[in-house]
Amino acid sequence: MDTSRYVELFLSESREHLRVLARSLLGIEAGGGREPVEEAFRAAHTLKGMAAAMGYAAVAGEAHALEDRLDAIRSGTLGVDAELVDELLAASDRLHAALESTATGDADPHGTEGREAEPAPTTPPPGAGTTSDDLGDLLDDDALAALDGEPTPAARILIAPSAPLKAARAAIICRAIEKVAAIASCEPEAFDDAFDGNFRLVFEAGEDVAVIEAAIRGAGEVQAITWETARRVRRAAPAGRASATEPRAVVRRVRVDQTHLDSIAEAVGELGILRGELSSLATSDTPVERVSEEMGRLLDDLEHAILGVRMIPVREVFERFPRVVRDAARASGKDVRLVLEGSDITLDRAILEEIGDPLLHLLRNAVDHGIEAPEERRAAGKPPQGTLLLRAARERAAVVVDVEDDGRGISRAEVLARARREGLVDPGTDELRDDEMLRLLARPGFTTREAVSELSGRGVGMDVAVSRVRGIGGTVALSSRPGSGTRLRLRLPLSLALAPSLRVQAGGEDYVIPLNHVEEVVELDGAVARQRGREVLRLRGDVVPLVRLAEALACPGGGGRETAAVIAGGGGGRAAIAVERLVGREQMVVKRFDGPAGTLPCFAGVTLLGDGRPALVLDPTSVLGREGKG
Amino acid sequence: MGKTVLICDDALFMRTMLGNILKQAGFEVVGEAENGVEAVDRYRELRPDLVTMDIVMPDKGGIDAVRDIVQGDPDAKILMCSAMGQQGLVVEAIQAGAKDFVVKPFQPSRVLEAVQRVLG
Repeated sequence: MDTSRYVELFLSESREHLRVLARSLLGIEAGGGREPVEEAFRAAHTLKGMAAAMGYAAVAGEAHALEDRLDAIRSGTLGVDAELVDELLAASDRLHAALESTATGDADPHGTEGREAEPAPTTPPPGAGTTSDDLGDLLDDDALAALDGEPTPAARILIAPSAPLKAARAAIICRAIEKVAAIASCEPEAFDDAFDGNFRLVFEAGEDVAVIEAAIRGAGEVQAITWETARRVRRAAPAGRASATEPRAVVRRVRVDQTHLDSIAEAVGELGILRGELSSLATSDTPVERVSEEMGRLLDDLEHAILGVRMIPVREVFERFPRVVRDAARASGKDVRLVLEGSDITLDRAILEEIGDPLLHLLRNAVDHGIEAPEERRAAGKPPQGTLLLRAARERAAVVVDVEDDGRGISRAEVLARARREGLVDPGTDELRDDEMLRLLARPGFTTREAVSELSGRGVGMDVAVSRVRGIGGTVALSSRPGSGTRLRLRLPLSLALAPSLRVQAGGEDYVIPLNHVEEVVELDGAVARQRGREVLRLRGDVVPLVRLAEALACPGGGGRETAAVIAGGGGGRAAIAVERLVGREQMVVKRFDGPAGTLPCFAGVTLLGDGRPALVLDPTSVLGREGKG
Repeated sequence: MGKTVLICDDALFMRTMLGNILKQAGFEVVGEAENGVEAVDRYRELRPDLVTMDIVMPDKGGIDAVRDIVQGDPDAKILMCSAMGQQGLVVEAIQAGAKDFVVKPFQPSRVLEAVQRVLG
């Protein structure tokens, strides 16, 4: 069997099982009783089966070993302690590593390689021929392996160990269910003499769980029924069966390569910039203006739609933190309970990816330096177990993420003393506000120059964390009370429209030029000449009008000496835009804006720089419009 | 008035034993069959509330008999009687329309439990 087309689906589903595994292993350690053991066992068991189906023997082997250990815990022959959990976590890490390397090594994870290697179907297979069949085939070849079903109910059924002929009992149960509900899939697929009485049924979405459960119980010899939610892969209706009679075969969810979404979002961002140009070209009450306005509305819709597609629950990032906190707590001899709240809140995937590491730093810092050792907490009259709260909440057009600990708080006196020594505060300062303290802590290396036990880690990564959050247009706020804890509040935008851009300086200010307008960048080295009273740049035999940006923008006090020129083109012609400095190429978060009356018509929007300062996005074609036509 | 039952088994010993268990539970044994062909005929004739069906019988096996009976009466309540090691055949019988099964050697309590499920 050619399994390459299933690699992506296999990987994404396996990662889900690995997350469940990690979560339930921590649940086992936390003394969660039987449920996390069962959950971990099922995850390992399912992973084993999936890996075996893909022919990944190494992965299946790791999963099998893990399953055996979990089975021993399940049956009570293996007692649980921290060392065992360490060992199981290590095994789950090995499984993860085996999975990633095997799957990505064996085949392109996007599955494109395998597909391209197949001969293109030039004629429809026998039985196909109508348009709908062709569509079915298309789905089958290109998309089906990546299709993801909606969450559907699934039941894990355990037949009483004392029951004879468990396979026959399972068949009776299935028959009984079929009278009241549709079974979408069954695992194992067939019942034979090896069947151990443990099986799992996935149902169509919307089936009545209570009715199904009654049917299962009525079939007899059932020891336990556990309900769970499955993500079912939908197979399209086989060719030849009209979809009209099978409305359920309609594909509702599609799993898409993230890079496609990124490029769509990027294109939308660039369209927004173009639309800004269009509106600046349109004079009032003309057809162009009407088109431009209509385009603006559609673009807003499009931005909303693409944003909706890109929204992902923060759970995706939060889920890895229990393990991180657990390991950090164990390493530092702390007892820490991590509480996650608001895991269902959604964020743009790009934002979510950016905040993962900052949150990791903040959580680690909280464990290492915020929360005290159990004996110290006891002495301070606190419960020996520290609580670390990670909470996401929606607040108007933003998402607020709090990292809050009930530890000792940050010592203002020490921060102040250090700031004084380094000359970072006015010598007269004798009190630090929270925001001043954050500014100091977020200075690169502020706390790492000297080992101060309480502080040494607070600043490690704090500068990185804060600048990453600001880089996506977010803010960070600190509040800390001595003895009772510290809270860092991240306020994040909901949306990102990314555009590749060039950052330049003119008149001492930073500006951003969308790269789609940039042809090339040259040094200004005496190739400037005058022609008919205008400055021009000689560029490989061409003559390009030169615009000094600081002058064009009428920067107060004029500009400094220009060192480089951005050759911008598009629409009516080319121009060399002279700037004082090239800062670099960046992915910019561009927000369109309607400037106040009197704003120069050469700005397409505004963006936030990595350090949190706003910068205007230049629309170079507006410069062309005025200067390029000579 | 107890429920009626048709007992199908090629061994008289088994028919007798099963009949006793069911009679003690208040059933009325209205007929017996020694093979599949007879089982189908007697079912059509007697329309019993319950059928017990051995799997391996001469002329026509129990599974084929189940198929024929259910074809004529989809609501037929048939209990398969199986020996250990016949699991695949039991599964087949259930897929053919049998409602439940008991495993030889018969334990009265298990037989009656299964009968309750079939009639319930």
